Amino acid sequence: MIHEHLQEPEKERLRTDLASWEIGPYHGALPAPMQLQLTLDGEVIVSARVETGFLHRGLEKTFELHLWQSAPAYADHLDPEGSVFGELALCMAVEEIARIDVPERAKRIRVILSELTRVTAHMGYVARIARSVGSDTMVHYVLRDREKVLDLFELLSGARFSVNFLRFGGVQADVTEGFIERVLEVCDLIRFRLKEYNDLLTFNHAFLKRTVGVGIIPHGRVHHYGITGPNARASGHSLDVRKVAPYSGYGRVDFEIPMVTPEYGNEGDIHARFLIRLREIAQSVEILRQEAEAIPKGDFSVGPIDKDFVPPAGEAYSRVESSRGLLGCHVVSDGGRSPRRIQFRPPTFSLLAAIPELVRGVRIEDLPVLLMSLDLGIAEADR
Amino acid sequence: MISVFSTIARYLLDVYYGARSVWSSCITAIPYLFSAGDFRKEVTEQYPDPISSRTADDLPPRTRGLLYNHIDRCTGCKECEKTCPTQCISIKADQGAEDAKLWVSKFDIDFSRCIFCGLCAEVCQPQSLVHTKQYEGAVYELTDLVASFGRGSVTNEQREKWASLRRAVESDEVFL
Amino acid sequence: MNELSGLSWSAAWRVALGLPEAAPQWLIATIGLICIYGLVILPSGWMVAYLDRKLSADFQARVGPNRAGPAGFFQPLADLLKLLQKETVQEWSWREGFWLGVHTMALYSTVAVLPLGSLALLVDTDMSAFLPFWATLVLALGTMLMGFSQGSAPGWFGGVRVAAQALAGAFPALVALLSAGLQAGGFRWSAFAAIQGGSPLHWTAFANPFQFLAMVVFIISGLVLLGIPPLDAGLSIPDLHGGVASSLYGRRLSLFQLGRFYGFFLWSVITVVLFLGGWILPAGLSVSLQEGGDWKWLQLLELVWLLAKTYSLMVILVWVARVNPRSRVDQITDFAWKVLSPFSLFALIGAALCAGWNVWRAGV
Repeated sequence: MIHEHLQEPEKERLRTDLASWEIGPYHGALPAPMQLQLTLDGEVIVSARVETGFLHRGLEKTFELHLWQSAPAYADHLDPEGSVFGELALCMAVEEIARIDVPERAKRIRVILSELTRVTAHMGYVARIARSVGSDTMVHYVLRDREKVLDLFELLSGARFSVNFLRFGGVQADVTEGFIERVLEVCDLIRFRLKEYNDLLTFNHAFLKRTVGVGIIPHGRVHHYGITGPNARASGHSLDVRKVAPYSGYGRVDFEIPMVTPEYGNEGDIHARFLIRLREIAQSVEILRQEAEAIPKGDFSVGPIDKDFVPPAGEAYSRVESSRGLLGCHVVSDGGRSPRRIQFRPPTFSLLAAIPELVRGVRIEDLPVLLMSLDLGIAEADR
Repeated sequence: MISVFSTIARYLLDVYYGARSVWSSCITAIPYLFSAGDFRKEVTEQYPDPISSRTADDLPPRTRGLLYNHIDRCTGCKECEKTCPTQCISIKADQGAEDAKLWVSKFDIDFSRCIFCGLCAEVCQPQSLVHTKQYEGAVYELTDLVASFGRGSVTNEQREKWASLRRAVESDEVFL
Repeated sequence: MNELSGLSWSAAWRVALGLPEAAPQWLIATIGLICIYGLVILPSGWMVAYLDRKLSADFQARVGPNRAGPAGFFQPLADLLKLLQKETVQEWSWREGFWLGVHTMALYSTVAVLPLGSLALLVDTDMSAFLPFWATLVLALGTMLMGFSQGSAPGWFGGVRVAAQALAGAFPALVALLSAGLQAGGFRWSAFAAIQGGSPLHWTAFANPFQFLAMVVFIISGLVLLGIPPLDAGLSIPDLHGGVASSLYGRRLSLFQLGRFYGFFLWSVITVVLFLGGWILPAGLSVSLQEGGDWKWLQLLELVWLLAKTYSLMVILVWVARVNPRSRVDQITDFAWKVLSPFSLFALIGAALCAGWNVWRAGV
């Protein structure tokens, strides 16, 4: 009888239920329209489910409905923040099918544009992290400096974001007068500002406490999900398409892949991903200086691409190191006036698969920083 | 005993680093209070005040602003209509009288659909369709967003009169 | 009885307001409270809101408000008017009404305790310094209730965070208050005024390092207690859409923001009175004005001086808030329990030793 009594207190233990909360498609924690269905134990996330597709625009189908000539303008819109990468991937694939040799000057211009785009994308990343962590001042500083780079885009192509500048066989037009000087000026400015960002945010104690040791992508899981780009490099994998499979003249450029090694910080946490991207900005500035000072004379394009441009039948797959990771483009041509199939492999897709695992055990308050730190490009994931 | 001491030391160091980083973050912002130097000025462009914001003249020459079609150069080939990603250009061009040139009676660009990609200006052979540097295109009615550059429909007789007048001007018989 | 002028506060106020002799005390008190609220607190809200926006803009390389009035000075008024004229989408539930009652109680009950000058001390008892502390706890309770009344996840989380922060910040705040009281020998406002002087050398904060530490702990624990940025986890926008305030709009939002400002203001005024010299005018002006019998000038100058120091302190805190990232709520409470509390106890012990030392030296 006493024994039964002693067992009863177990039934009176405090019962806590798991709460469920659906975040999205629009929420301050999410970088773009997507949905997270969370199960919470207090403030700690127990499980999560990701829903995407809110930004599906039928981009890949659209390629099949228009002429080859218009394809770069659509590839532009794959990822609005890194439009050049989409264009470059497409142009490289089509040039491989049509066996077009791109002149050296055009290759250099493409490299300059790629690195400038990488700088703008990473600056936008820093601004998003700063916003999610609550440091408004940093947001304004970074966006102010990003404007200088966007001005360069406008000078070269006429638009700030969707540059629509690459064409099959080269670029649309030559560099304008004064462009190279402006590029070098912007490089100096960015180098100065990086020091300021470090003073302000990178080593701020409150920021460190929120980002160090949080949201770790373990070294072993990177290959499991197929994560590439700065996120993979922050977890210790030294994969960079510009080194492994150089394209567009990157083989000649002298640069190092920024990595996070154990003596430089914890591997794979938010702070590591943040640091990697700051270092990549510095690295891109170095590449820009090298390339801008050494642009060879020559043609900027093989020739104008008109509406009758038809590549022979064939297919090709090109890989580009975009700001988020390895961007692949598979182009199939059947000799017709429109592409038969164009498919992109966006780097963000692997991250979406990894989110449920990453988010387990993380507090609600860390969710915005974690999601922003992955640099999710939902536009390219949903296409 | 030593581990207790080192724990306390680490704790105190942690507090010290915290205080120091707050201080150094605050210090970074001080030069901005006085707008010290070129790098720390205010960057707000107080649009539409022309004094402190950029006007159309400050924009680079390749700026892809609102489109304009010089209709007298337009050949009515409809390349722009075909290449437009959003199908925002609609053209009606009929055969002229004895002219080789087509009469472009309707050339409408719907700016509510235009994405300013520049493809139409790029494919235009006679270079009549160009991007201006104008970017202020806000209107009060949605229908006002359609820009019409066409010549309008005219009857055959009017077209012949125009054609003969043009030939006369070109051969210097008539001075306008 | 006010020792300086020999008048009771009601008599002093009656004379100042020009009311007849037979005016009952409750009338004088009501008019006095309305005067303080309207002439000190609301304009302070205006001033600090304006300084906040302009200074934040300066730090962020922006211009800030510059259209509403000269240099944008009327921007806070414009914001208030905009909020007041918003349409009510949902009527108040009984929970929100309850919160309003609690909030109002906290607000108006402590207006009387504000130490705004040597003559304006309506409540100068031995427990005066603790009453504003009570007000902040009530404000925290009200905010938590409002969070729970939202009926949505942001509200719940926000409410719990506010409550956790209030509990964590209460202990160090009290202990730091005790340290200041040790130095002053009591908790009357006049006691604090008596031991401090006009110049910074005579402020309590610089009397000895333990008092300085107590001041720092007091300020920071006030931030924790009241949820002032950058320690405002209960109202964070990225993860909670504004948390407790996520579904507030219009008049209720302006009431809420006024309550939060009042807490901030209250805490800053108390800090200045406890540690930073209070209203004592520099260069012996206080004494000379008192001897001259110039009561109106004395009150006015003391008030201005007090408010100047208060605004400076609030501006410094705003600066820290804009530049630093927001801390996570469990990091804030960890910090309050594991760092602020031991430091405050350390400061208290040191302050007690110093006070004892002074007494022993005076006795010898």
